[in-house]
Amino acid sequence: MAGESATTPSSSAACPAVEAVGLTRRFGARVAVDGLDLTIPRNAAFGLLGANGAGKTTFLRLVTGLLLPSRGTVRVNGRCPVREARAVQRGLGFAMETGRLYPELRVAGFLRFAGSARGLSGKALADAIERVVDAFSLGSVTQRLVGHLSKGTQQRIALAQALLHDPPLVIVDEPTGSLDPLQRREVWSALAGLVGRRTLLICTHDLEEARALCARVAVLRAGQLVAEGATDAVLGGADTLSLFRPAPGAAPEPRA
Amino acid sequence: MTPLLALCRKEIASLFGSTAVYLTLTGVALVSALIFFDHLRLYNQMLFVYASSTMGGFETDTIPDYVNLWDSVFFPVMETLGLTLCGAVPLTTMRVFAEERSRGTDELLLTTALAPGQIVLAKFAITFAFVALMMVASFVYPAAAIERGGLGAQHLAAVFVGLLLHGVGVASIGLACSAFTSSQLTAAVSAWAVAFVLWDFAWITPFASEPVAGMLDAIALRPRYGHMAEGFVVIADVAYYFGLAIVGMAIARLSFDLRRIGT
Repeated sequence: MAGESATTPSSSAACPAVEAVGLTRRFGARVAVDGLDLTIPRNAAFGLLGANGAGKTTFLRLVTGLLLPSRGTVRVNGRCPVREARAVQRGLGFAMETGRLYPELRVAGFLRFAGSARGLSGKALADAIERVVDAFSLGSVTQRLVGHLSKGTQQRIALAQALLHDPPLVIVDEPTGSLDPLQRREVWSALAGLVGRRTLLICTHDLEEARALCARVAVLRAGQLVAEGATDAVLGGADTLSLFRPAPGAAPEPRA
Repeated sequence: MTPLLALCRKEIASLFGSTAVYLTLTGVALVSALIFFDHLRLYNQMLFVYASSTMGGFETDTIPDYVNLWDSVFFPVMETLGLTLCGAVPLTTMRVFAEERSRGTDELLLTTALAPGQIVLAKFAITFAFVALMMVASFVYPAAAIERGGLGAQHLAAVFVGLLLHGVGVASIGLACSAFTSSQLTAAVSAWAVAFVLWDFAWITPFASEPVAGMLDAIALRPRYGHMAEGFVVIADVAYYFGLAIVGMAIARLSFDLRRIGT
């Protein structure tokens, strides 16, 4: 399936956080990501923008190894998610859209599970939980069921679990898609605290969010890169919205 | 704690956080009791009729051979329990993979240190443990029939192994079905369809050639289960159920690869 070219894996600090070359993903006749060439530098907040169905989530799934590319290559911290999916996944934290948690678990139990599932145990696990609980102000809800909490708090929990193992790359998909303004501020504040210490890849269709959090952005339309650069340069123009207008006949992005 | 143990622990918490699981556990125990006491009532009625003064009672030895605890209570109870499990077990397996998919938490699992094979292994292991618990709840009545019928501990053990393996076999079918959908209803219905079709092929024997009938009989659940209900633990039957579990796990594992390729 994948036209992956073999190169020597490397996780040296010199390589970019994510490097896609001619990355293509098809779902039947539909091309969700179309020959994408994109480099995401380390230790910066990078926004991946685009209208619904532009191919953002498919790109994230290709980066995380959840999907295989139809053509082209992608490397994450110098490693190939096709052949080294486990190694790539160990080096990233993935905070998915709101609600993709276990509502029947208590927050503390969920964080313990998420940390253990990433190989943490004993004191390292306890310290990691304490660190993220403090960082995301979850101290008052640790004994509550995840499903009983507000969406804003759930999103903070999703971010907290992604940071338990202190990964160099954190991927956040639609962090505030269904939140009210106050909850959005809470999540933005949490995300802003991460900027500069690790690579933050934020997938969003919210321009305000991108301006608030990201140093650089890329805009996808119908799976193709239509703009990339410093946030102010890309989103500062008078006709910014034209970048987001879907191509004629574009269908919603499928859930693979 | 290793990632695998952490997932097992999470599975137990999720399992016992589900209302459907308690309902299924209670339902199986209740149906087992109803089946058992209904057959016991019929058996007592027959005994009463044959033992009455007009029939001559026990002294004249007029009670036919087929009126015994074995044929009148034990076998019908086991038969109906086997079918009950075909109906009940998919209610507990339907959520195992399908719920993860519908919530999107499968992607959370797959971006941890857990390999797909470990996810499948943990989910199957915890489901099998729950099936064992369900068997204990439904085994009280066959055990009582065996004890009263004087069949002995060996027979009791064979029957329990039979029930357990049958439950594990149906659970494997249910889990494999659950791995291919995000709809719990689709998972349950497809598992019921496969389990009930696999239950018995005796009805098709008159219409099929001998090799086909033999092959169908070899993959049917009922003959294997029947041997153990009769008190015989045959290696081939145990291997059949283990094979069913391995095939179920392989199919569930395959579903992860197919999703990565997904078209």
